Amino acid sequence: MIDNAELEALSDEQLSERPFDELVVALQQMVQRLEGGSIGLEESIRLYKHGLRLHAACETRLREAELTITELGRRGVTGAEPDT
Amino acid sequence: MADQSSLWDRREVDPEPVADATTPVRPSPRILRVTDLNRRVRSLLDADAILADVWVEGEVSQPSFPPSGHCFFTLKDANSQVRAALFREELTRARMRPTHGMNVIIHGRVRAYEPQGVYQLYVDTITAAGAGDLHAQYEALRKELAAAGLFEDGRKRPIPRWPRRIGVVTSPVGAVWRDITNVMRRRYPLVELVLSPTVVQGATAAPAIVRALERLYAQPDLDTIILARGGGSLEDLWSFNDERVVRAVAGAPVPIIVGVGHESDVTLADFAADLRAPTPSAAAELAAPDATQLATVVARLRDRATSALLGRAAERRRFVDAERRALAGLAPDIDAARQRTSDLLDRGARAMNERLARRRALAESAHATLRTLSPTATLERGYAVALTVDRRILRDAGDVATGEPLQVIVARGRVETRVERTSTDGSEELLS
Repeated sequence: MIDNAELEALSDEQLSERPFDELVVALQQMVQRLEGGSIGLEESIRLYKHGLRLHAACETRLREAELTITELGRRGVTGAEPDT
Repeated sequence: MADQSSLWDRREVDPEPVADATTPVRPSPRILRVTDLNRRVRSLLDADAILADVWVEGEVSQPSFPPSGHCFFTLKDANSQVRAALFREELTRARMRPTHGMNVIIHGRVRAYEPQGVYQLYVDTITAAGAGDLHAQYEALRKELAAAGLFEDGRKRPIPRWPRRIGVVTSPVGAVWRDITNVMRRRYPLVELVLSPTVVQGATAAPAIVRALERLYAQPDLDTIILARGGGSLEDLWSFNDERVVRAVAGAPVPIIVGVGHESDVTLADFAADLRAPTPSAAAELAAPDATQLATVVARLRDRATSALLGRAAERRRFVDAERRALAGLAPDIDAARQRTSDLLDRGARAMNERLARRRALAESAHATLRTLSPTATLERGYAVALTVDRRILRDAGDVATGEPLQVIVARGRVETRVERTSTDGSEELLS
């Protein structure tokens, strides 16, 4: 379960640094709540705005993603060593 | 001569008719060079499908190991023998070294060696026959590990849908690692690949693969592991049937995908994996979602949110409308009230009028009755009323004495009089 309240407090920039799967799950939860129907209009609008930000963050992540490669047994065994 | 000409097809040798005075029409015999002969034998052998893919059992005799790194020996049984060549690469891969007198099962192809005019077995797989053939070993181990529960479906874990770190055990050189990184870069570049390099063939491969797996098992936060190797011969893939490797795969702390060789190659490591991929590239595809589709998925989520919000707004509007209508229904209807009041007034007025009319009629009839009953009316008809001194109406002549004053009231005025005499009869006379 993703804490959407915590995500809502983040700036757009911070949001787009979160793990992609977390963003997608948060977006899914938001949609389900919106579709669920037991919330008021004002709350719906607030959720929707948050959803738009989540969506934008997802798109940013997808657009800017670059494969990270680490090789064990070489320099920086646990660190993220870019592929050369 | 005639035999030769039928044996050697003339179409394949240079047609050089030689003039012969005694037999002018007979084709002349072909004289072949040794090279041509050997080449022809070789091409015959190469064309044979069975000889190109053959299993042979026999005894190794006098193996030699020249500096080239190759191995040559004679394979024989009680009646026959054949020369065999085991080149350096195959020898390195083989899990055994041929020794004199050893019974072996060999897989390879038969070809002619032109320089020496011999045919021989070119070996790609060699196993000791005493230990059973590869297939028997494979089956025995498969049964044993299956009995130990390593291959049970209940052990299989689902592959995480949104991996962040994927461990990969494969050779760092060659197409497999390149294919895996390409697939990941194309499909899901959000992930981090952690390569644990290893050799994947030869006698040292099995323990090396196990070590590479264990290095990954020590890594934190891995979501999935891929164990991969490209296609190769049965012998090439043999380390993935090694019990140590199979057990290491079964012991993976996170879900493991095994993609070894081609579609048709199924190793025991495949059985022990949480998921079997037909090829290394397929393993990479199975390990991560397709981000090109994710953009669509995410966009669809946004659209769902939009329509949910719009739906919520429309629903609100409908609710408000319904509320408004309900309130309107509850509000006092002035017009109706006015109408009702006016109706009531009308009815009241009407009723009152009716009542008045009735009263009037009643009053009039009463009045008429009264009029008929009033003494005045009676007096009008000619009657008179006699009143005594004490103002009693005189009804009986016996009630007055002679000389007593009487007042007689008639219709118009009154008469003062005195009684002269009285008599009890007389009223009948009036009526007669």
